Amino acid sequence: MSALLEAEGLTKRYGAETVVAGLDLRCEAGEVLGLLGPNGAGKTTTLRMLYGFATPDAGRIRYEGRDFAELRTELKRVVGVCTQEDTLDYDFDVRQNLRVYASYFRPRVPELAARVDELLEQFGLARFAGMSPHALSGGYKRRLLIARSIVHRPKILFLDEPTTGLDPAARVDVWELTDQLRRAGMGIILTTHYMDEAERLSDRLLVLQKGKQVASGATQDILDELLGDHVLVLPVDDPAREAFEAAVAAQGLSARRVLRELHVPVDAAGLAAIGAALPGTRLTVRPPTLDDLFLALADEEAP
Amino acid sequence: MSAAHDALGHLMAWADWRSLAVLRRNALVYFRNWKTAFLPPAMEPVVFFLAFGLGLSGYVGGLDWEGERLSYTAFVAPGLIAYTAFGTPYYEALYSAYVRMFFQKTWDGILATQVELPHLVWGEVLWAAARGFMNTAIVCLVLAAFDAAGMVELHTAQLLWMPPLAFLAGLAFAAFALIFTALVPAIDHMNYPVFLLGIPLSLISNTYFPLETERPWLRVLIDANPLYHLAETCRWLLVRGEPGPHLGPLALSAGVLLVVSIVAATRLTARRVLG
Repeated sequence: MSALLEAEGLTKRYGAETVVAGLDLRCEAGEVLGLLGPNGAGKTTTLRMLYGFATPDAGRIRYEGRDFAELRTELKRVVGVCTQEDTLDYDFDVRQNLRVYASYFRPRVPELAARVDELLEQFGLARFAGMSPHALSGGYKRRLLIARSIVHRPKILFLDEPTTGLDPAARVDVWELTDQLRRAGMGIILTTHYMDEAERLSDRLLVLQKGKQVASGATQDILDELLGDHVLVLPVDDPAREAFEAAVAAQGLSARRVLRELHVPVDAAGLAAIGAALPGTRLTVRPPTLDDLFLALADEEAP
Repeated sequence: MSAAHDALGHLMAWADWRSLAVLRRNALVYFRNWKTAFLPPAMEPVVFFLAFGLGLSGYVGGLDWEGERLSYTAFVAPGLIAYTAFGTPYYEALYSAYVRMFFQKTWDGILATQVELPHLVWGEVLWAAARGFMNTAIVCLVLAAFDAAGMVELHTAQLLWMPPLAFLAGLAFAAFALIFTALVPAIDHMNYPVFLLGIPLSLISNTYFPLETERPWLRVLIDANPLYHLAETCRWLLVRGEPGPHLGPLALSAGVLLVVSIVAATRLTARRVLG
């Protein structure tokens, strides 16, 4: 059985720069695939190729086994796009935003009035139906953007940094809505800068760096693969700092400063060796997180 | 071959349901505010006709046109129609389309659907030309009223031809304007297409005054200017009651401008919006 979305060898160049280099990915129905990576890793370009905003220089995209380049118009009908930017139509009220957006799809959305009412209810927007989107808070605007992107009942939804700029309560709302859509069988491709969000929402992660895949799979598998089993933590003003850094360097590693602490991802053998080199020093050990991964990738990309 | 195929695709996108969906979206917004939207085009010809037509005609007296002595009001009335048919789509495609593209991000939202860029461009062009049709129709109603009041003498039955003519020529003017909409970095830079192109074009078009020149380069510009042929066709219809010799050149110059502008505007807009 074909995946809902399958991309092979996806490549995009802008001038001499290769922004995405031979990327492969899959997304199944009822699955959330999180795309992670520091700024400039190629996440947004990947998304733009997948939903048709940019044309790949090489590679192939298939929805339900059908070639996107050949059946573009037909396959765009199964795709929903919620961009990071607010693209609501402020010339219309909330209800009209849904109705007018539906008019950009064929075959037409069956029983549109009922579909719009259903979405207004599902997304808690019914009481704002006749109001301008200007009257909505950031969280409700985001709800409307997501509702609008699925008004035509797509099978796959692209969510580009859906909670950027939202307060914690609004973020949780968006998480719940995303989870509802996943449980309803929709495939979702998510990009986010919030690691807790990626971890909570994604069934699988795809980590990008400089346009290439550096890891793919469940969160813990990726952390094990890229960072090891543990993160060693030492306060920067600890008297054993120099000895600590020397022991870390002896393992071929380097410590990263995060505020008032030094962090070093290590595997079990590295932990044992550093611990043995620093008898009497109190080291904190904790499991690695996606934040550690994100910082490690950003460090590698820094000039 | 591929570029030619793409260009042909851009030109043929006008009839696609997606172009009409964009047209419909703009029309819905416009007709929601129809009372305020209709007032300026109705008032503008009244003011212009009273100020330039009746006011100036006392000083100007009559004008020689195609071997015939005309009152200035009879000369300027078709010019007013032609300028409306030019200015309405031109400025709609410059300013309103720019606001939708740049400030409101309406185009980004639309392009995330089945609508593709050539449909978006055509939707904007069709809408701008439709506005030219409506505003020209309003100007025609005002002129018919002036004719009935004895303030100007026109073949009023020929006024029926004006809105369709305005629509067809307006397609070219709107497409031409969209090139600059795609190019200007900020809305302040709209002054360039307005003052360097829009106003000069309207001055070398026999709209408000007859232009006689012996300079060959200026003659070439005038003959290539669809607005000139539109103004003269309107004048022939309203003054003589027949289409006259400018209808063919109007079709040719507007057709060429439309084809070239649609292809250029689509490519430039793609570069700007899609990157």
